[in-house]
Amino acid sequence: MENLHITATDYTPDINFDAKCGILEMKGKSYPENTFEFYKPINKWIHDYLTTTLCEKVSINLNIEYMNSSSLKAYFDMFDSFEEAHNDGKILEIKWIYDEEDDISEETGEDFIEDFENLNIQLVIK
Amino acid sequence: MLVSRLRTLMEEEGILFSFSGLISQSLTSFTIKSVQEQLEEFNIDHKIIKTMFLITIEQLQNVMSYSKNRLINDGNKFISPGIFVIGFDQKNKKYYVSSSNEIEEDDKEKISKKIDLINSMENKQLRDYLREQLRTAENKHERGAGVGFVEMAKRSSEKLEYHFENIDGKTYFHIITYI
Repeated sequence: MENLHITATDYTPDINFDAKCGILEMKGKSYPENTFEFYKPINKWIHDYLTTTLCEKVSINLNIEYMNSSSLKAYFDMFDSFEEAHNDGKILEIKWIYDEEDDISEETGEDFIEDFENLNIQLVIK
Repeated sequence: MLVSRLRTLMEEEGILFSFSGLISQSLTSFTIKSVQEQLEEFNIDHKIIKTMFLITIEQLQNVMSYSKNRLINDGNKFISPGIFVIGFDQKNKKYYVSSSNEIEEDDKEKISKKIDLINSMENKQLRDYLREQLRTAENKHERGAGVGFVEMAKRSSEKLEYHFENIDGKTYFHIITYI
């Protein structure tokens, strides 16, 4: 599968998905006005990748500082794909990365842990 | 002189940033950047600043998506006439974000029902309700998840305050959210 790279803007994160090594990174702000349009190809890539990759282990690093409510929906859909892959026996190492003083991002990460309790999600201070 | 009257009003109301005109995505990120610069000068708590911006994003994107007279550029970029203000309320010592835009008269009931339901919930209920809405995606449309008011309420230290006003046969929706 092709790698996926999307450069960050003021309101969308940097996307760096490396198919070969199984490293998926997203970093930046996320409050596009047309959220579903932005995340549709990203979520499709993730879904297709996780259902076809031969890598046993996939690392996912998420460092999203501002998130609007519709982005939250896009991330729920993404975590659904992670959960499916996990249930299929893939090993996913998910890191939710945030600044030390950023309590709100920390809470968002804790919410994901609570909502997707089967997944291995680590909270990591930058 | 007009600017002098405006300055007096802005000082009285504790206004840090205000805008009247076409609200767009680029205005949203411009606002966040410039208000952040101002607030960092004053050493304001990081969490307050972030909460303020999250509420600003939801309010402005609501104006962009739902304002009656919105214009659509390049097929998917919404630009809508509206007013918004970010300030510090001297009386209850809280920051606030407030906005106003024209709506369809018929949407009044739908909006009140939605906000009244949200206002009847406590924090834990809001959190569960948000998750339920995101899971069912019932209110989902192409641009949003339909949960902007829930997100605002979750972040706010008070209930959402809103009212409608009829001016020259037009219906306006006003909202203020305290941090």
